[in-house]
Amino acid sequence: MAEVIQILILGMALGGVYALMGSGLSLVFGVMRIVNLAHPVLIMAGAYVAYWAARLYGIDPLLTLPIAAVILAATGVILYKLVFEREARSAKYSEMTVLLTFALAMVLEGALGTAFTNTQRVTSPDYATDAFFIGDIFIPKGQLYAGIVSLAIISALALFLKYSRFGYAIRATTQNREAAELLGVNVNLVGLVSFAIGIGLAGAAGSLVSFVFSFFPAKHWEWIAVLMSLVVLGGMGSIFGTVLASFILAVVAAFIGAYFGATWSTLTFFVALFVVLLVRPQGIFGEKPELA
Amino acid sequence: MSGLLEVSNVVAGYGDGPAILDGANLSVQPGKVHCIIGPNGAGKSTLLKTIVGMLKIRQGSVTFKGASLKGKRPDQILRRGICFVPQERALFPKMTVRENLRMGGFSLADKSNLEKRIDEIEERFPILGERRDQHAGTMSGGQQQTLAMARTLILKPEIVMLDEPSLGLAPKIVKEVFSIMRLMADEGITILLVEQNAMMGLKHADWGVVLDLGRTLFEGPAAEVLTDPRIQELYLGGKKAA
Ligand SMILES: Nc1ncnc2c1ncn2[C@@H]1O[C@H](COP(=O)(O)OP(=O)(O)OP(=O)(O)O)[C@@H](O)[C@H]1O
Ligand SMILES: [Mg+2]
Repeated sequence: MAEVIQILILGMALGGVYALMGSGLSLVFGVMRIVNLAHPVLIMAGAYVAYWAARLYGIDPLLTLPIAAVILAATGVILYKLVFEREARSAKYSEMTVLLTFALAMVLEGALGTAFTNTQRVTSPDYATDAFFIGDIFIPKGQLYAGIVSLAIISALALFLKYSRFGYAIRATTQNREAAELLGVNVNLVGLVSFAIGIGLAGAAGSLVSFVFSFFPAKHWEWIAVLMSLVVLGGMGSIFGTVLASFILAVVAAFIGAYFGATWSTLTFFVALFVVLLVRPQGIFGEKPELA
Repeated sequence: MSGLLEVSNVVAGYGDGPAILDGANLSVQPGKVHCIIGPNGAGKSTLLKTIVGMLKIRQGSVTFKGASLKGKRPDQILRRGICFVPQERALFPKMTVRENLRMGGFSLADKSNLEKRIDEIEERFPILGERRDQHAGTMSGGQQQTLAMARTLILKPEIVMLDEPSLGLAPKIVKEVFSIMRLMADEGITILLVEQNAMMGLKHADWGVVLDLGRTLFEGPAAEVLTDPRIQELYLGGKKAA
């Protein structure tokens, strides 16, 4: 029993981190219909911000988090203006963005590799190697903190989307771009801001990732599979779905890892992605709205 | 004669594509129900989209109360008092009914009265009050159309344009939809209705406009258009029996 609880806790903590990694991707897809394959490499960039802030100035990655978020959000604005804005009204837009973001991911990976080499990095604040003990069960502090911070950020995002004027505009644009525009929403501005928030979330996730996983530029390919399975299972564009999918898959992966070995744990995400696409391509929360 | 809204010789289309409208004319008289009819693909929806600024006017002019709407954005045109309820997809399916109504007031600079206005609308349309916390996408087609039409009232518009509000609804529900439209007209709102079902549309209208291949063929009092032989020709067989 203790073992099951132990695995569950570890899975949940990782699920929290995955949730933040995936929510930015989901937001950007929801509003902009951009399948952003560069999202993981942007998380990687956020991780490097945290890493160098810790290494050069000894700043705790949790304190770097807002800085990484702002730097990446600004990067998001630039990318949007340079790459995506022109495409926004094209009919083949969604397909185009897959290729565009794929190329972008390669370029950014190359840039990070050149700048920071392919050495494995990790930030190691004290709590990253510490743990709470409750009887036989241990809870690694690093994962626990990362999970809590991640959920706090996602809750703030959810409140913003649910109650603020701009949140209404974002949700409306996600659900029906044309109707939103007709009611006076500036959908181009909504696109830009959502993209910036989405990439900002990647930056925030990156600083958490920096002490939860070790990383090097090319590792983002591994994360793509994980993140794609989260957003697909959650129903593309549904942030709540992504969060729920993160917890489900992380816990399942933790159990599979514990009983069958780490290789199989990673495979959970590939298999989930595959099965969901075959069986229920709209994901858990992607039910088709009745509009007739 | 100059109307509330004047469309003259408008040429417009999608992006860099071919001209879909090519000589569209329309003169809208205040307080009346106008019905635009025409076969599939005639450009009826395109005409409404052009009026609200979603498509660029390439040639010709659109004026509202004497002022040109050319080059204006949808939000600017909305603020002048023209509301558009598009064909089928007018709502935000995963927002609640109440949130959809709030979106109706999105363009208001002063939101202090918004919740009160929404309360009034829920009183007038009790079904919307009953379902205020339900996702709009889970309501029946008729309820969704009611919500879409009621939502325009938040802004107290001068002109409401309805694109095929009867589409896919059962005859009994269609009646309700048209009675809501009549209600709006009786309050002094000018209505611009697009209907594929010419008979039904014209029966509920004061003025009829016939559009084909992006061009206005002719217009006149609804009763006269209804019996015009050219209509029979245009709809050869099919629609007129309905
Ligand atoms: N988004 C679009 N992009 C390009 N062409 C379009 C678009 N929407 C409509 N068209 C074209 O414009 C023409 C007129 O379409 P429109 O929707 O205005 O017709 P309609 O009279 O409203 O027909 P319906 O009764 O079927 O609604 C059609 O040939 C259609 O193919
Ligand atoms: Mg149409």
